[in-house]
Amino acid sequence: MAAPGYWRGVALVAAVFLAILLFVPAWFDLFEVLQMTQYVVLALYALSLAYIWGFGGIVSFGQAGFFGLGGYAFAVLSINMGDTTVPFLLTIALCFAFAAVLGYFMFYGRLSDVYLGVVTLVVALIMWKLISHTAGPEYAIGKARLGGFNGIPSIPIMRVPFTDREMDPGEMFQYFMGLLIFVYLLLHVLIRSKFGRIAISIRENEVRTGLLGYDIRRYKLLVFSIGGALGGASGAMWATYQTFIDPNAFSLEMSAKCLIWVMAGGVGTLVGPIVGVVALQYLSLKLGETAFINNLVILGIVLVLLVLLMPRGIVPTLHDWLRKGIALVRQPSRGGAP
Amino acid sequence: MSAAPGSILATSSLTMRFGGVVAVDNVDFSLAPGELRCLIGPNGAGKSTFFKCLTGQLRPSSGSILFDGEEIGGRHTHEIVARGIGIKTQVPNLFEGLSAYENVNLAASRRNRADRAAEIAAEMLELMQIPEIAGEAVGTLAHGQRQLVELAMVLAGRPRLVLLDEPAAGMAGEERARLAGVVRSLAGDNTLIVVEHDMDFIKDIASTVTVFHRGRIFIEGHVEEIMAHSEVQEIYLGKEANAAA
Repeated sequence: MAAPGYWRGVALVAAVFLAILLFVPAWFDLFEVLQMTQYVVLALYALSLAYIWGFGGIVSFGQAGFFGLGGYAFAVLSINMGDTTVPFLLTIALCFAFAAVLGYFMFYGRLSDVYLGVVTLVVALIMWKLISHTAGPEYAIGKARLGGFNGIPSIPIMRVPFTDREMDPGEMFQYFMGLLIFVYLLLHVLIRSKFGRIAISIRENEVRTGLLGYDIRRYKLLVFSIGGALGGASGAMWATYQTFIDPNAFSLEMSAKCLIWVMAGGVGTLVGPIVGVVALQYLSLKLGETAFINNLVILGIVLVLLVLLMPRGIVPTLHDWLRKGIALVRQPSRGGAP
Repeated sequence: MSAAPGSILATSSLTMRFGGVVAVDNVDFSLAPGELRCLIGPNGAGKSTFFKCLTGQLRPSSGSILFDGEEIGGRHTHEIVARGIGIKTQVPNLFEGLSAYENVNLAASRRNRADRAAEIAAEMLELMQIPEIAGEAVGTLAHGQRQLVELAMVLAGRPRLVLLDEPAAGMAGEERARLAGVVRSLAGDNTLIVVEHDMDFIKDIASTVTVFHRGRIFIEGHVEEIMAHSEVQEIYLGKEANAAA
């Protein structure tokens, strides 16, 4: 059922990402490479929500719970194991399992969408509260002290897989960008699979999907768990990128930002949230450099304008405009005068 | 009206309460394999709630539902559907963004590989005599066509018991006659329960009718006998109308 242009579009986006992966470290200075690495990590975080929201109809108000859990799990594991590859993989597995357990109670407990959003938010806030109260020396897991509000410093820098060599900033950018491309393509394959089509049908019409004999709880659980694993992976990348993690990773602000990036970029697309992250983070950065007005005020105005002018998000709106533009250009030639 | 031996569906003292309201009240109902039964009754009589209990959309307050000898009361919808019950809901329940073919294909995909599902989807649209709208988005279709697409979806799952909730609503003339023909052709190989208000349609498709009133089975019998029954007329039309007649 895939439209012929679908995979062409995906391939085009992947090619652009690949070009960015190849040329950014050579063409940009260190500060810009570090800045773009941050965008890549946050883009993966946004993808974790974009997938479950746009392609499973699950709105998580507490996606930061997985982001923070991933960050802390990676910090503890990498400090204790003295490696980064295995801890990274274990972190993803742990976050998948945590999402599966949480999701089991939510979906098999027949929670409605609103309560589901509230539960995810509350779980993230409980984790934030818990981790904030771990300041004493007794709160340590092996060699890793949790540090309460001060967080965990000196988290190992990502190493080249299965070696002891730390990545330099350019290599880390390329590694993370490669992961982002891999996840982007993987999610598209998943979305176009039978599993993905049924997950979308649940989003579209949960009652009818159930009446066709599909176990909607099982599908939602798997979609949510995949989102949890991706959120955890981005948290781990954030921790190694900063070599530091603190309770703010679990904060309401981190959850809210994720919702805003996805909403601004366009729910129901995968490239949209990536665009949303880059556009809004870049705007925040530039507004932070100006002193004439509070940047949060301007950011708020931009978001309101986005919702009013592009209610479906940046990417779907631009896509529509482009399609209409092409149709307008073609129309006169089709019915052209002899 | 206890469960007859060999019945494909038998409910016993089935009750569904919403707080103080008893929507389905101690219903004993049974159906023989291959039978086509019509359920009638005024709005609020409990027909749709009865269907929701049968399909697991509602967990009955008490009583039992035996389908092919197995208790299904309180089971999840997907488990019941997997055992062979399919339902066409009162308001067509479709995937609006998909085409008619894609809707039916999705229904057929649950039990079949992609190539077989495609064949079944095409077959079902043919059976409904609507292959010409296969590629059209269901959101753009007329109400009657949407009803037929949903029926095609239900049948694509190859259910043994088909529940049709007001399938002829919004249809007229040729379209309704075509639907009556389809429903009649299904009986025998399939067991059907049809909830309907349209008496002409009922006369076209069924011989046995069950009348629901205030959550209970009021009377069961042959369609002509039921239609001539003064109390049934009273239930449907009200005392004043009956007196005037």
